[in-house]
Amino acid sequence: MTTMTNETQPNKLTPEEQAKREGLRVRKPYVAAKLAAISEMEERGEISPIIRLEKSYLCNFQCTHCSAEYYMDRHQKKVFKIEDARRKIDLDDIRELSRQADELGLARFVITGGEPLVMKDFDAVVEAIDPDKHYIITDTNGWFLDLATAKHLKSIGVEKVQLSLDSMIEAEHDAFRNKPGSYKKVMRAIEASVEAGLNLLLSTVLVKGRAKSSEFLEMCKFATERNIGLYVSYAKPTGSCTDHPEFVIEKEDADILRELEKDYNVFTHMTPSYGSFKGCITVKGIITVTSTFEVTPCPYIDFSLGNLRETPLKEVLARGMRNPWLGPYRPDCIIGEDPQFIKLHTEKTKGVTQLPVPWGQGFSDSDTLIG
Amino acid sequence: MNLNDLTSPFDEHGRCLPIGLGAPALAQSRRYFQITPPQIDYAAIHARTTKHLGDTGLASDEFVRRCEALMQSLRDDPQTTNITRGIAVPFLLPQAEHADYGEALEQHYIPAVEHAFAKTFPQYRFTNHDKAGLSGKLSVAANSRHERLLQAMQQGPVVGYYFPCLSEYSLPAALERVQSLPEQFLMAGGYDTSAALVGTPGLLQRTDGYPPLLWLAAVQADKPLAGYFYEAYGYNLTFNRRPHFGQAAEYWNSGLTVLG
Repeated sequence: MTTMTNETQPNKLTPEEQAKREGLRVRKPYVAAKLAAISEMEERGEISPIIRLEKSYLCNFQCTHCSAEYYMDRHQKKVFKIEDARRKIDLDDIRELSRQADELGLARFVITGGEPLVMKDFDAVVEAIDPDKHYIITDTNGWFLDLATAKHLKSIGVEKVQLSLDSMIEAEHDAFRNKPGSYKKVMRAIEASVEAGLNLLLSTVLVKGRAKSSEFLEMCKFATERNIGLYVSYAKPTGSCTDHPEFVIEKEDADILRELEKDYNVFTHMTPSYGSFKGCITVKGIITVTSTFEVTPCPYIDFSLGNLRETPLKEVLARGMRNPWLGPYRPDCIIGEDPQFIKLHTEKTKGVTQLPVPWGQGFSDSDTLIG
Repeated sequence: MNLNDLTSPFDEHGRCLPIGLGAPALAQSRRYFQITPPQIDYAAIHARTTKHLGDTGLASDEFVRRCEALMQSLRDDPQTTNITRGIAVPFLLPQAEHADYGEALEQHYIPAVEHAFAKTFPQYRFTNHDKAGLSGKLSVAANSRHERLLQAMQQGPVVGYYFPCLSEYSLPAALERVQSLPEQFLMAGGYDTSAALVGTPGLLQRTDGYPPLLWLAAVQADKPLAGYFYEAYGYNLTFNRRPHFGQAAEYWNSGLTVLG
């Protein structure tokens, strides 16, 4: 499942967005102050990535393009006939991660998975992150997100929901998600989230050619008319998509999307937002913490930058920033568009039964762009 | 490697070789961020410059003659011939003297790029993302040799070629490198880079890959570790500022200018 914040084009802060920010300032002044400080941090050369937390990979769906499928117990049992014996994170680990992140000025957590709303300890995870210290977002496929659940999420301190919608054509969405009825549940979840006062973001996966389709244009219109941000994630040749190289986009698809950003409330992780121009957000704008406390530089790169049981978050982030693939500013998606990196990633993850590939075997401090 | 041992400071693709540097630059390039060689139409460049930057008083055929003579002299010299194998963009600047570099760039040269881009690509957009303004903020970087361009502009219209060949250098490394190049090479800054884009507005347009970002390396920003640049966004063109922290990046290019 992909993750992004609801950010729009620079200099286009809507009155609604201003009101949301003011509301946050009143309810959670410490979080609002940290969010407001991000641009100053960037000016000083510091980073403030969103932390995607994959506490559990349990999921009630089996999507065609899932980036987390290879991390799931069901995949390891079914395909590799193994059980993952690695130590999993617990609530104390999450509290420690929250503390280290706060110390570094990081301000945003996304609970992802798997499907977060099937986690029995979801509320405890939110509490461990601490909604008064961090802006908390949850990903969801929407299946369980009725009005009562949406109100409950709001009440425990979740600020935003990121809801997956993969086609405006009901049958296509349900087929892509391999879950009949899921489109209707997404539509219900949209209404529930809005009514509960949650910030809402729709997320969708862009496969090759989709940017030109009337269906995609309809989705852009749908989101814009409802004043909902539509976050578009490129299909990457990882996870379940490893078997679908035909999904991987070309630059033309990315450029069509960039044109649509002018007229619709649609964006990718590389869209300039609020004056911030990160380009590819690996480490600079996002990290993923897996269920085994490994840190990867984006949801789709299965190379670890270190394990937080052995290495402090600060050093893990520094490793990422000094890596020539990840640290420097670049305008394209490294795992979605750079053929050389895609090849390297495919070769190093092939046949690996337990992801991510550990630090030193995938990424290391001796990495170069050539050779 | 001793710089004097090199026949040419440029490789076979025109890249200025990053040797003898203390500041960061990528030793080898995988040539991932590239500019598509533009079709050079001297008459169109002359016409666009006249329209958007003002009449230079230089006839089109004289502009062509001086451009071709400049390129020929570079080709004829074994030390410099390789730079002509890379991206080379002729430009023309009207006579001018500006008291405030940033103000002139913001009020005259960047709008000229915007208008030339809009005229050539009405379906796309030029955006100046720098909302803080440039007035009083810019100066010529020390050791950039850029002041020679400004002196030439005071004397009359300037003909030159822009070479975005300092690819994958940090800004300090680009400035360091220019000092060891033959005297005719100047670091490109705001006016010459803008003039190159006025004459060739599609320089950073690419459909099959990503072009590099073009730093105005001869221009010192108000903060020492920040800089200004032109960058494509899809088919669109942007101007912006960002911190660079003296780091090198595969995506970053600075340019050299040669006057003719």
